[in-house]
Amino acid sequence: MNLKKVLTKDSVLLSLKANTKQDVIEEMVTFLAEAGKVGDRDAALNAVLDREAKMSTGMQHGIAIPHGKTDSVDKLIVAIALQPEGVDFEAMDEKPSTIFVMTLSPENHTGPHIQFLAEISKLLSQETLRAKLLAAKNEEEVLTLLT
Amino acid sequence: MTEAIPVVVQAVHQASEAGTSHGITHMMMLLVLQLAVIIIVAKIGGYLVQRFLNMPSVLGELLSGMIIGPYALGGKISLPDIGLLFAESNGFAASYELYGIATLASIILLFLAGLETDIAAFLRYSVVGSVVGLGGLLAAFIVGDLISVVWPGNGIDSFMDPAALFLGVISVATSVGITARILAEKRKMSSPEGVTILAGAVFDDVFGIVALAIVMGMAKVSMSGGEVNWGEIGIIAAKAIGFFVVVTSLGLIFARKITAAIKQFKSKEVIVAICFGLAMLLAGLAEMAGLAMIIGAYIMGLALSRTDLAHEIESNLKGVYNILVPIFFCVMGMMVDFAAMKPLLMFGIVYSLLAVLSKVIGCGLPALAMRFNARGALRIGLGMLPRGEVALIVAGIGLASGIIDQGIFGVAIMMTVITTLLAPPLLVKSFEGGSGLRKEMKGGSENIQSIALELPSRDITEFLLNRFIRALRNEEFYVNRLHPTEPTYQVRKDDIMFVLIEDGKTLRINVPDEHQTVARLMLLEELLSLSDLLEATQKMEDLQSMGNDLLAGMF
Repeated sequence: MNLKKVLTKDSVLLSLKANTKQDVIEEMVTFLAEAGKVGDRDAALNAVLDREAKMSTGMQHGIAIPHGKTDSVDKLIVAIALQPEGVDFEAMDEKPSTIFVMTLSPENHTGPHIQFLAEISKLLSQETLRAKLLAAKNEEEVLTLLT
Repeated sequence: MTEAIPVVVQAVHQASEAGTSHGITHMMMLLVLQLAVIIIVAKIGGYLVQRFLNMPSVLGELLSGMIIGPYALGGKISLPDIGLLFAESNGFAASYELYGIATLASIILLFLAGLETDIAAFLRYSVVGSVVGLGGLLAAFIVGDLISVVWPGNGIDSFMDPAALFLGVISVATSVGITARILAEKRKMSSPEGVTILAGAVFDDVFGIVALAIVMGMAKVSMSGGEVNWGEIGIIAAKAIGFFVVVTSLGLIFARKITAAIKQFKSKEVIVAICFGLAMLLAGLAEMAGLAMIIGAYIMGLALSRTDLAHEIESNLKGVYNILVPIFFCVMGMMVDFAAMKPLLMFGIVYSLLAVLSKVIGCGLPALAMRFNARGALRIGLGMLPRGEVALIVAGIGLASGIIDQGIFGVAIMMTVITTLLAPPLLVKSFEGGSGLRKEMKGGSENIQSIALELPSRDITEFLLNRFIRALRNEEFYVNRLHPTEPTYQVRKDDIMFVLIEDGKTLRINVPDEHQTVARLMLLEELLSLSDLLEATQKMEDLQSMGNDLLAGMF
């Protein structure tokens, strides 16, 4: 699938301040809400936290993919955030997470939502790409690396 | 085919004039009785063949038609007040009105075939798929056409003879359904050979339709007494390809807009009916443009296949399909005139065997040239072997328009039956032994992962499988059940393809390495959603009291 259709410069949050799992999720949802992409910030936050409560989305190699289904968005919304120092995200390999990909998708709309997460996870499985992303100087660079 | 409409009108007119209202009522009564017999016999025949011979039901439907048709039982058993139930009329095995119903069925068949085509996969699929498809198409067409020219005594003497062209096109269209089922059963669906066969078949379908369009155009010129020269063929081909490309592109570009407009009706039934109406409209326009009706129906299906209505239309038309399409195959069977076929029996056998060889060689050689060894190439060639629905429809069009006679029509049916019967045992046998890839290619990009998830009970596995299928469809994947009794599904979207199997308590996914992430993540989400369900069940009132409420007041 074409990641360019979903990823734009304003989906990138380069300087994530949070250093706990809860704060990372809140900061990312707020980032999306402030960009006017989410109708009800709290509903979106709860959707992501509910999903996270079932099983952590902290994968391996510092990647985390927090996501949720909520009707406070009307199409697939994505945020990419970086935190080179790492945050404990209860990852599968118990290592700190550094690259966060958040998606919010409407409850009953069809569309490639999980497929987007899968495609981006596949990309991020390359070690060199992860290193380049974490060293990226601006949003433009992140976008070029991913699309 | 174009001539059929005025003739039907004339026939109805004559009937009503001859016997006033009694004439047309009698005609309709006969039609309804014929349909009753056809539906029951075809369905039972299809069932028996599928259940006991493990062959596609279409063979049973064809066979039922041969038995009840005017050239067998239908021409012998006379009923009181009616006479022969299936009598030959105007040298044609079916009455015009019965043929009309069969034509409608062929439109539904091709409309749904178009809907089920994954056009993005067609545009993006691996090069090997297109080369294999094209190789098989050219070889089958040329060999099918040439043998009819070379063979003495069938009245065909030039490569451009419409009948020769038809025999070429008839031997083109692969019916991959039976191959897909065998690949799924043998767990070879995602093997390099399996992926190549399925990709090749998509190309084969589309190119086959384009080839039919060209041949129809040429045949019509030649039937009207005109001489077809190479310059004209170029024009006809350009017109056919142009119609296909332009209408399909317009369809794909505007499909979402058109469906958005139709969706204003908010009623599924109205939406589905309008879409089917559009398919018939395009079918009629295609015929007016000098092509065949099924081409228009197929294009409309292709155009709508990329919209979110595709699944809705498909599931809503399935019921009509299940009743009408067997009528079509049964009527095709009825048209087999054994007496007319007798002198052409040897020709039929040679034509059928060459249809086998041309596909095996035509598809096998390109595969061999690309990255398969002889074993792999043979598997691919055999996988592309079975001909089916489209071959029968093309043959029917040829017969109805007078381009081929009943003898040649019988030969076409014979070829369809022989290739369909031969493919399964040969294919199964060919998959014995080692890899079909050349040594240096082994362990390439086609590594298949088998993901297995064992659940506490079969019920939970089945439940999870259904949830997973629904989630896949929501993500715009195409999910097709491959086997009527075995719970095996093929999942497709663009260049992604994998297989789902419910194996007792285990849910199994066979997926190429590069696409396992999407399969794993989606299955994980569905697995986690089971916990919501569990929580909700725990919130249910005490079961005993719910049961009591249900039964209270019954006695």
